[in-house]
Amino acid sequence: MNYMPGTASLIQDIDKKHLVLLRDGRTLIGFLRSIDQFANLVLHQTVERIHVGKKYGDIPRGIFVVRGENVVLLGEIDLEKESDTPLQQVSIEEILEEQRLELQAKQESEKLKVQALKERGLAVPRADTLDEY
Amino acid sequence: MGAAPARLFQLRGRRGVSSQEGLGAPLLRVSSSPGCLLRWCPCCFCLLAPQILEDYLLVEDVPLLEEMAEEDEELDLYNEMTFGLDRDSTEEDAVKTPVPLERSPDLAETEEEPQADEGQPPPEEQGEPQGEGGMEPDAEQVGSEEEEEQLGAEEEHEDEPNDLGDPAVMRAVQSKPTLESQDSAVLDSRIGSVWAEFGKEDMLAMEPMVWGSCPSSIPPHPVLEDKAILQVLETPPPAANVALDFLSSPVQRGYAGSPRLNRPDFRGTSPKSFSQRFLRQSTGYAPPTRFRPLSPTVGTPPRPLAMHFGPMSPSLDPSPFFSPSASSQFNFSMPSHLTQLHPQHQRILTQRQQQGGTVQSVSPKKLWSPKADPYAGLMTCKEKDWVVKVEMIQLQSETMDDDYYYQTYYHRLERKQAEEELMGGRNKQEPPKLVTPFIQKVETYNSVVRIAGSLGQVAVSTCYSPRRAIDAVHHALVEEAAGSHRLRALHRIERLFLQLLEVEEMQRKVSLAPEEQEQKTQEAGRIYQALKIRACSSEEEAEDEFLQVLCVRKGKKLTARLLPHLASEQAEKILLTITHHLPFLMKKDALDESLPLLYSPLNEVVGRMTFSRLIQVLQEITRPLPESDEFPLAMALKNQFGITLLYSLLSRGEGLLSSETPLEPHGRDFETWTDTVFLVARELSQVPKASLVEPLFLPSNLLSLFCRYLDKQTVHHLEAKMECSPLPSEAAMPC
Repeated sequence: MNYMPGTASLIQDIDKKHLVLLRDGRTLIGFLRSIDQFANLVLHQTVERIHVGKKYGDIPRGIFVVRGENVVLLGEIDLEKESDTPLQQVSIEEILEEQRLELQAKQESEKLKVQALKERGLAVPRADTLDEY
Repeated sequence: MGAAPARLFQLRGRRGVSSQEGLGAPLLRVSSSPGCLLRWCPCCFCLLAPQILEDYLLVEDVPLLEEMAEEDEELDLYNEMTFGLDRDSTEEDAVKTPVPLERSPDLAETEEEPQADEGQPPPEEQGEPQGEGGMEPDAEQVGSEEEEEQLGAEEEHEDEPNDLGDPAVMRAVQSKPTLESQDSAVLDSRIGSVWAEFGKEDMLAMEPMVWGSCPSSIPPHPVLEDKAILQVLETPPPAANVALDFLSSPVQRGYAGSPRLNRPDFRGTSPKSFSQRFLRQSTGYAPPTRFRPLSPTVGTPPRPLAMHFGPMSPSLDPSPFFSPSASSQFNFSMPSHLTQLHPQHQRILTQRQQQGGTVQSVSPKKLWSPKADPYAGLMTCKEKDWVVKVEMIQLQSETMDDDYYYQTYYHRLERKQAEEELMGGRNKQEPPKLVTPFIQKVETYNSVVRIAGSLGQVAVSTCYSPRRAIDAVHHALVEEAAGSHRLRALHRIERLFLQLLEVEEMQRKVSLAPEEQEQKTQEAGRIYQALKIRACSSEEEAEDEFLQVLCVRKGKKLTARLLPHLASEQAEKILLTITHHLPFLMKKDALDESLPLLYSPLNEVVGRMTFSRLIQVLQEITRPLPESDEFPLAMALKNQFGITLLYSLLSRGEGLLSSETPLEPHGRDFETWTDTVFLVARELSQVPKASLVEPLFLPSNLLSLFCRYLDKQTVHHLEAKMECSPLPSEAAMPC
């Protein structure tokens, strides 16, 4: 228990390896070196990890300073268990290629869906017109 | 680098301390590349007096260094005044300045030893021979460096260019090359050389616990694989309650040596100047107030021999440093307007501080990592303290708005303790004293500056409106102006919810004076009015505002939370409306399934109802619907909320009947009641068991109710259907 019981603080997490998920969907892994009251993060030896299916690729990025509001979540990585993963690491080029293929496939399926809906005279639900939550 | 302490980024943003009056940002002191001391004024970010130092300082530069040290002292003083922080820093500085001169003779001595060692093959304990090519030349380099050190100046000097240096990285004030300033690959290759400079005897000369508690001080190197060294290092730290300062070099980092003042012998035995320096810094440190080193781990060492070490996560130093009631060893002098946390929090902190002395090694051995994280400790303790301080300020508030979880946590803790006291009274619990939080309110500032005689305003940027360009005021949208029904309903819900929160806040206050009670009920009544509950026919159901509100999950929550605060008349009206429109609501709720939210408060309402009112409500359920032949009853049986509500109503009726209180029925109440019971029984027996939904709660007196009116067989049948627990003694039932 830390000395700020009842609250959450990142102080405990300093100098530990973390996985940070950003709002734009990127996954960063690095050592959390510094924080501030807005939960802005300084990540060291950062690696951007791209996951496609069962494969992943790491892109070394160096030092990151992340603005706190862009963090979705972050969690500590247990170094002992870090390598204990069913996922397969591949090279950067390969994973980028995989990502591109995945994006392409998604776009195509989306196009087909829109087409099908149009044929049936249905409107495509767009996020900005939804007023339901 | 000079003798000035390697104080780096001490960035104090204004924002974080906005609630503090008169706090300015301290001067930034950034030491970037080795040999350059830059300072920025934080407000305008102009460089102040840049000082470029030669890589190799000569004797003549000593006064310059001392000047710098003085300036640093001033800065520290400024920092201290600003933040009321650590006197230790000034102690450090005071300690540091006489150090350089004092140390050089020490250096001369101690440098001899490692110097002598290097030429020899490493002692057998060191295992692998220092096979790396980098060793020999480095050894020579050390020799040449030594002379310069004797001149009394300490700085880092290297033959390799230091432009690789990462300016943001910490720098140790030392004579040895700062490894962080190099590329990590270079770092790794050099770590060995630095390590080799430690004679074995030097290591052993130090108290083992010094090194033993220094997990991060071991660089990754083949030397590490030497068992003896590892053994020495793996001695667990004897005293966990130590303070750490991560200001120093990677090799020395994570030095968990006790910061006690009774370590004068280290000055002599420490082979390295920077380690001495580090020690002195540590001794200057105030014991109870610091963080323990947090996980000096290396995540992905570039070397193939990646040893995985679990993160070292010792619990933080159990010393509270924001407790105003701290003991005298407490070095923090917090500004007066920064006091008062929740009393329970303070208590915990004081307790911790007292216990701090008794706590020994906390970090279990398995978590301790013998591998050095050369970059650990970038964030100094002072900076951590500062962040925590800001966070604690944010916790101080009188309302629940600021930090709900913090407040709730402590309320619950208090409640639990109060209960324990009542029950056992075993622990000497301090009665929670109502310490009124004393927060300095931010004085109202003029966010709009109008210069007399001018047109318009000056754009003033403040912490609340950093980019305020125009005097734009957000006007709340008028409801009618909003678009669809649904949007309107959502707007209303939000508005009413805010009002509800205020009502609940009023409720939460400990002692409610009668006029406050009155005010509270008034407020609640206002919300009730705003809900616009009215009778409407089935055709208008989609348009009815209250029902629209109820169709939204949050609207149900709003109603559920509002019910306890309403007068019984109003609450019953709501119940009536809900039951009247039950089929509609159930249909709308099919996707969301949030009706059960309403059950609990409605149950409360039912529990207080009179018999006549109950009959009224039951009539709503049993009336035939115009469109279909189905009774709402039948539909209710298929809906979890519906069936639970039904059972609740019946249970209440049964309770009233069997309680022998005068019921004051009106007219046909009893007949209606019996009719209803029969109807329910019939429906229950008719509906297939598969479509009968399990209720949220099954009242126990339902069977006895049926027993009152129905024959035994039917009761058995119903019992099986409803899956009630069988009655205790059926023979006694008047069936």
